[in-house]
Amino acid sequence: MIRVIRRYDFSAAHVLARPDWSDAENRRVYGKCANPAGHGHNYRVEVVLEGELDPRTGHLLPLERLDALVAERVLRELDGRFLNREVPAFAKPVPTAENIARHIWDSLVGGVAPARLAGIRLVETRNNSVEYAGSEELP
Amino acid sequence: MDFSASYRDASGATHGHNYVLEVTVSGLVNRETGMVIDLKDLKDLMAREIEARFDHRSLSDDTPYFADRVPTAENFAAVIFELLDRALPNGSLARVRLSPTDDLTVEVSR
Repeated sequence: MIRVIRRYDFSAAHVLARPDWSDAENRRVYGKCANPAGHGHNYRVEVVLEGELDPRTGHLLPLERLDALVAERVLRELDGRFLNREVPAFAKPVPTAENIARHIWDSLVGGVAPARLAGIRLVETRNNSVEYAGSEELP
Repeated sequence: MDFSASYRDASGATHGHNYVLEVTVSGLVNRETGMVIDLKDLKDLMAREIEARFDHRSLSDDTPYFADRVPTAENFAAVIFELLDRALPNGSLARVRLSPTDDLTVEVSR
């Protein structure tokens, strides 16, 4: 089996708080991440592809195509944004690392043929990262 | 292991990278030695099979492996997997991970 793992970086701000909860409830669940003013991360996203090598090109998917797809569907939407306020996908769902990873998966999964999307790894800080492989529904 | 190599792309232009190679060997822990494989043996084998063949070489011009395939990271990782798989004890090679840059890794597993 062959896999290609391509890494991209973006920066974004977020608040971990549900609009339908009180400030106290959000603070209880999300701690300092619930500060309404927001805070930011330098995110790293690793896109994992698997599939068959095209003998003509020697690639699963030409890197230029993957780079263009990620730039158009992910980085343009997320890089430099306040996720809760500027990205419609996070108007309601809280932009936790889990939800961001799942959103990136959803944005890319239909565009990587003939390769298959095998996973998204989102690194939020040096201590925290999330892997999503699309196989189970998050609550 | 780290090594450096160059290759020619479809247009004939020459590129080079500092490659990082990670090799994963799996198997039972030997009761006497407490090891899956002697790391010294693995290191020597990697020096012989990989470094001697590819370090400071042109993949396209100095090796026979890319005469009929493009020297992409995917194909290079597949060649490395084949070479190590042939040299290591039967079936013990679990995975190779080859990174031409910090932003790209190719993983070949059984």
